[in-house]
Amino acid sequence: MPNWPAKPSVVGGNTTRIDAPAMVTGAAKYSSDVQTSGWLYGMIYRSRWPAAHVTSVNVDKARQVPGIKAAVVEREGGRTVRFYGEELAAVAGVSEQACLDALRAISVEATPLPFVVKEEIAKDPDSPRVWPDAPNLADPSVKEQGDVDKAFAEAAAVVEGFFTTPVQIHHPLEPHGNTVSVTKDGVTCWASTQGIFSVREGLASYLDVSQEKVRVITDYMGGGFGAKFGPGAEGGLAARLSQAAGAPVKLMLTRFEQSLAVGNRPSSFQRIRLAANADGKLVAFDMDAYGTAGIGAGTASAGGGGGAGFPAPYIYTVPNIRVKQASVAVNAGEGRAFRAPGHPIASFGMESILDELAAKLKMDPVEIRLRNDSSQIRKREYEIGADRFGWKRKYKPPGSSPGPIKVGVGCGGATWGGGGRGSQAEAQINPDSSVEVRCGTQDLGTGTRTLVAVVAAEVFGLKPGQITVKIGDTRFPPSGASGGSTTAASVCPAIFDACTNALQKLQETAGIADARGANWAGACKKLGVNPLTAHGEWREGLSSRGVGGVQFAEVEVDTETGFVKARKILCVQDCGLVVNKLTCETQIQGGIIMGLGYALYEERVMDSTTGFVLNPNLETYKLPNFADVPDIEIILMEMPERGVIGVGEPCTIPTASAVANAVANALGVRVSSLPITPARVLAALGKAAKPGGSV
Amino acid sequence: MNSFQYVSPHTVDSAVSLVTDHGRFLAGGIDMLGEMKEYIASPRVLVDVKKLPATRAVTPGKIWTIGANVTISEIEQHGELKRVFPGLQQAAAEVGSPQIRNVATVGGNLAQHSRCWYYRHRDIQCLKRGGNTCYARQGENRYHSLFTGNPCISPVVSNLAIALAALDAKVIVRRGKDEVALTVPDFYAKAWDNPEAHHSLGPTDLILRVQIPDDGRTCAYKQISEKASFDWALVSCAAAAKVDGNKLSKVRVVLGAVAPVPYQVPAAHDYLEGKELSDDVATHASEIILKDAVALDHNGYKVPIAQALIRRTLKQLVG
Repeated sequence: MPNWPAKPSVVGGNTTRIDAPAMVTGAAKYSSDVQTSGWLYGMIYRSRWPAAHVTSVNVDKARQVPGIKAAVVEREGGRTVRFYGEELAAVAGVSEQACLDALRAISVEATPLPFVVKEEIAKDPDSPRVWPDAPNLADPSVKEQGDVDKAFAEAAAVVEGFFTTPVQIHHPLEPHGNTVSVTKDGVTCWASTQGIFSVREGLASYLDVSQEKVRVITDYMGGGFGAKFGPGAEGGLAARLSQAAGAPVKLMLTRFEQSLAVGNRPSSFQRIRLAANADGKLVAFDMDAYGTAGIGAGTASAGGGGGAGFPAPYIYTVPNIRVKQASVAVNAGEGRAFRAPGHPIASFGMESILDELAAKLKMDPVEIRLRNDSSQIRKREYEIGADRFGWKRKYKPPGSSPGPIKVGVGCGGATWGGGGRGSQAEAQINPDSSVEVRCGTQDLGTGTRTLVAVVAAEVFGLKPGQITVKIGDTRFPPSGASGGSTTAASVCPAIFDACTNALQKLQETAGIADARGANWAGACKKLGVNPLTAHGEWREGLSSRGVGGVQFAEVEVDTETGFVKARKILCVQDCGLVVNKLTCETQIQGGIIMGLGYALYEERVMDSTTGFVLNPNLETYKLPNFADVPDIEIILMEMPERGVIGVGEPCTIPTASAVANAVANALGVRVSSLPITPARVLAALGKAAKPGGSV
Repeated sequence: MNSFQYVSPHTVDSAVSLVTDHGRFLAGGIDMLGEMKEYIASPRVLVDVKKLPATRAVTPGKIWTIGANVTISEIEQHGELKRVFPGLQQAAAEVGSPQIRNVATVGGNLAQHSRCWYYRHRDIQCLKRGGNTCYARQGENRYHSLFTGNPCISPVVSNLAIALAALDAKVIVRRGKDEVALTVPDFYAKAWDNPEAHHSLGPTDLILRVQIPDDGRTCAYKQISEKASFDWALVSCAAAAKVDGNKLSKVRVVLGAVAPVPYQVPAAHDYLEGKELSDDVATHASEIILKDAVALDHNGYKVPIAQALIRRTLKQLVG
């Protein structure tokens, strides 16, 4: 079995992104920057109804708009639309304004239907049905073990709570979209995607052409968190527009469209009862939960399902369990995988109720976790983290912080897989001593290009800057989609293997026992004219799966205004062998900031009267700014013997739980719904004025 | 957006004659571009007023003059203004982001339109946009008013207006052939009664400058938002007074984001006149100011925020 070097020289260091200069100078062309010869703008016409029978979509007048080169109807014939924003038609033209004008020239005949957009209302059997043949509230999945009722009856302490989490919208900095060029010779797609091969598969199937005719390129892309695996409806429409117009079509979505139709994290409404012995050992867990993934049960994808289900009782071992989970359909855009699907939801409910139990038992929250968490890794992380955070000194009983601005602390844990799988790669050594490494992966912005360079440099005894990394093209050896925190653990072993094979070939060809480092240029020269290439693939032993991760949060809460300020978040995270500390830590920072958004700011707001998303922009769909970001401290618990494990998802899971627990610790009452806004804090404190009355 | 003509006059006379009922004045464009892109506004002509004479200066004096085209950044960074009118500087510093403040102007900040998410939605024809219904009343009204004189419940969101109201500033407006001086309450009075109004200006009324008396009073401004920066105020509060030790006189306390106008209650000013400021006095003042608040389904939390901000802003006045 291959092995990572015991004393690496590059791996595990702090390598600055090899593409940083290109990114900051603008030389790096992101998918939305691509301007291929003769390209047209593409735009989508979307349903203005949350539910309607559409009898006709007429694009004739749109075609007459000056500058418009193509207009297509998404689906011929009558159809039912089920959410505001569903795709009905698309246009392509020479300017953005021409397309905007054309969209306004499209006429649609439709009969509006009753609709429902709020989960609490949709689950009522008398509410309008999203799908005529099925009730909105699906039959729950039920899991039961042990004697739950008996355990509750005999327990020393029982707590109950109702916890809700909002629908979280996918807002990567670069929206969804593609430039698609369809010609008789084949299809080229510049995609903002997490999976160039999954886009290729999707487009080939949509257009009914063979996969070898489709090339997908993702040189640089501006973020994807589980909702960018396939070409999407927008990619399919761009392809059809390109066919019709005989020109490449760039169809990038707007923020407004992002808010409607690219997937989201499902909501949850969790009623939980939890019981323990007097010593804090959990004995019974009972949950009745529902949530919405919009019109559907959600599309399963590489990062996990986009459905409304989630693991419960999450990371804790409880002997007696009853779990009922159901999804409820509403007339809104559907769920899709979203960074650690299910886990932040599961973590928020479970870590919240666990702190309630600790409070009831007058136990320290860290102590109750150590007592009930069977993961040895997390236990060590709690100990390391509590020590560094100063938990013993900072933790005070809930609500005991003096003054109107109260300080509180909280914590929570995570679990994730993050293992590797069948990636392939190719290394090419040129006689002039330059090196090219090719892999059909894509860089989501996490620094994959740099990881490839780090691993190759390690094997060859070179510096990362000496490696030319070629990724993001389906002409390169296939690699998996970047989901489920699998990229690093898939790609790095394949690069290692390819480079090891190339090095061996070089040493044989050159007749040099060790061609690395100082011997490199001399060995390469002996190749003569032809470069040397070697193939490699992911192998068992260089990566593994399964991580923990714990976080501690310190917040201050203004009890007069409800404003929550996160002061500090400490993360202790394992991810096996750290390939590049710098990008590992920045990825964790990103995960924590995203978790902070989930904790304090983000929420899709649906309007019952119109059925519309009311906050389809970054003005009212609130994401953290730098001013909101606390002091973030990251402790990497390195376990190089485990090989590479992904870290993208676990680091976002417990942030909201830790923050929510810290807020509850500060206040002495719990805000049991995310996001924790001033309105919710003041309501929890009983300070908000009642509707209707004067004060 | 729809196509439009663009003109860039060099005199106020031509600006006013060019704008007509179908045009709009363009300064920073921050607010208007958003409306045009969403087809909320489709002016046939944009009259760029940035080149108009005497609209770009901040002039100190017994009465300070701030030109309508002065940017929010210039207010924020004006050293002497910060010393004399700290509350106005603070109100400016809380506007949008640095990029927005570099472009947005005093005139535009005062005349900006509602940020209600129903009003701003491209596919909703709400009461404020000439429709029949205020959707927010029975709907999602967490950001909406506690006080209003009409069926629309979208609040005024100009930070500067709140501070300028506390300072008894006047807005000098070209109206027809005349220059009129509007108090801040005058400037917004129409929005109290008329659901379609954002302020009292007619389509051809042009803001020229703002005048602020330097009458020896100090001022303070505070707001609470959901985020620490680059976010609208949930509630804002400005106060101004002559401070003698702990004693207040010529007091103004004004709330923002709770009414279609900068909200003030004369009875509170009368109550505070000549009082030594204490926690009890500040609390009682806040009770007077919020007496007529009517909470909707989702905005009752604004009441305690307003109470806290009134207390804190008054406290800041006495340092």
